[in-house]
Amino acid sequence: MLQLIGIEFRKLFRLNSLRFSLLLLALFPALWAYSPGVFNVYGYFVVSAFQVPALALNSSMQFLLPLLVGIASAELLGLEISFGTLPTVLLRPVTRSQWLLAKLLVAAVYPFLILAFFFAVSLLTGFPLGYGEFIGGTGVGVGGLLGEGSMTSNAALTELARAYFIAACSLVPISMLSILFTVLFMNAASGALATLSLLIFMGLLVVFPAVQPYLLTSQLNAYITPVAGTGWTLALIALYCAIFAAVAVVIFERKDF
Amino acid sequence: MVEAVATIEAQNLTKRYGNHSVIKDMTFTVNEGEVYALVGPNGAGKTTMIKLVSGLAFPSSGQVRLLGVDPFEKPSVRRDLGAVVEAPAAFYPYMTGRQNLKLHARLAGNVSDSRIHEVLDMMELGYAGNRKVGVYSLGMRQRLGVAAAMLTRPKILILDEPASGMDPLSLHLVHSVLRNAALEGTAVMLSTHHLDEVVAYCSRVAIIEEGELIDEVNLLDRRDRYRLRTSDVSGSRQLLELQPFISHVSTRGEEIVFILKDNGALGQVSSLLGSSGISLYELTRDTFNLRAYYRDRLQEQRVERNADEDVSERSPKFLLEEDA
Repeated sequence: MLQLIGIEFRKLFRLNSLRFSLLLLALFPALWAYSPGVFNVYGYFVVSAFQVPALALNSSMQFLLPLLVGIASAELLGLEISFGTLPTVLLRPVTRSQWLLAKLLVAAVYPFLILAFFFAVSLLTGFPLGYGEFIGGTGVGVGGLLGEGSMTSNAALTELARAYFIAACSLVPISMLSILFTVLFMNAASGALATLSLLIFMGLLVVFPAVQPYLLTSQLNAYITPVAGTGWTLALIALYCAIFAAVAVVIFERKDF
Repeated sequence: MVEAVATIEAQNLTKRYGNHSVIKDMTFTVNEGEVYALVGPNGAGKTTMIKLVSGLAFPSSGQVRLLGVDPFEKPSVRRDLGAVVEAPAAFYPYMTGRQNLKLHARLAGNVSDSRIHEVLDMMELGYAGNRKVGVYSLGMRQRLGVAAAMLTRPKILILDEPASGMDPLSLHLVHSVLRNAALEGTAVMLSTHHLDEVVAYCSRVAIIEEGELIDEVNLLDRRDRYRLRTSDVSGSRQLLELQPFISHVSTRGEEIVFILKDNGALGQVSSLLGSSGISLYELTRDTFNLRAYYRDRLQEQRVERNADEDVSERSPKFLLEEDA
């Protein structure tokens, strides 16, 4: 199994969608943080380097990051389909579930990798603004860390790291969902688009207040929830992951190639 | 006494997609050292059969056993399986031929680097081992496919059109590699359109049409056949039928076809005829024409099927007329 995971990780770094994601995520903080329209859109000025990662996460979590994660996860399986290597690998003495679980595991790690990169790049992008103390502490949400009282560099960094970690966690079910749809349609583009469609559909279900807290799309805001509420959110995210992964494995086990 | 287990065993295999059956109740076995070829027109079900046997597709009913075990229940049996089920064989194009084989070796387990080197050389790809597969020609990829299949010295080789898109020399190479594998005891099952090449070394040929196994030809029986033309056809036949070293005699037009129990006895045939006052015009090996046989069997099958369809279409009308 470790052998398989190693092989799948090497494939991950060959993905075109990974390179594309890294390019976009490298450009994004610079364009956003120093754009003239930040105040008009978000209602605050960027005054500290620590605000850049907060702003970058806040503005990309609803659409850009889920899309990038969905595309890369679909491609992870889709490349086997487009190269025709899927049957070749399945003829070796590995079980189908072992092989797909290795892919699912790599896809689950993917959001952490790109968010770590995104965090580092956006933090570096804020360099001209300085990494000193500033008036902040309201969290990475709508206030963009600004307001309240004095916020130390360490406190800001910890808050950002927590937000990025939880944001990565909330993107993992999207990876699983994307692989599930790719297994279902045996096509990377269809898998990614189906994932996106379902996310948009779920987003529209906010008109049902009773359902809304449990929606996958609602968990994408988990990074701005207070620490106290994080346990419940992470449990729900884990449940989504387990369901999507299990369904993907069951379908894959019975599929003809 | 322990009963010998067939290396590949397909029992009553049926594959349906919706209401359409692409494989219909097929049963066959392939034993150690045998080369079993599936031939048939495009769309006959050869590739589906290959995928069912290699475990890539699930049968709607029936069972497949490799070395006596169900490959779905015990995937480790695939350690003894080498297969090429895509034409051209599929590899990661951004990796070199050698890297692709290394990846296969890691997935299979217990394959040394020297074996990778050996199979590359065997398929005459040693010079291209460090080139990316993306720049390989179709024939090279096919040869790399056979090399990958041979990596683990498998007891079973399953190949779907292994020689498609190959030049004559590569074609010859692939067939000789498969023949040698069979001589070393590997059970080889392949689908092909190259009838003339496979007839030279295949043990049995299964003719498939519309998902049905319409005929199974044992080529080993046909390889030791001889035919002769003489001045007296019936006299020669009677004479040969009495000989203990001849197992079968038949007449085909003006020719007599016979099978020797012992090939060393061939010389006795001419002297026997000469001593009986029969002039011998020609004595030669009777090469089995698989191509002609295949064409005839398909035509017969189609005539039968058309006749059946005519009857089934007309029957209700006749019944109505008789009732009236």
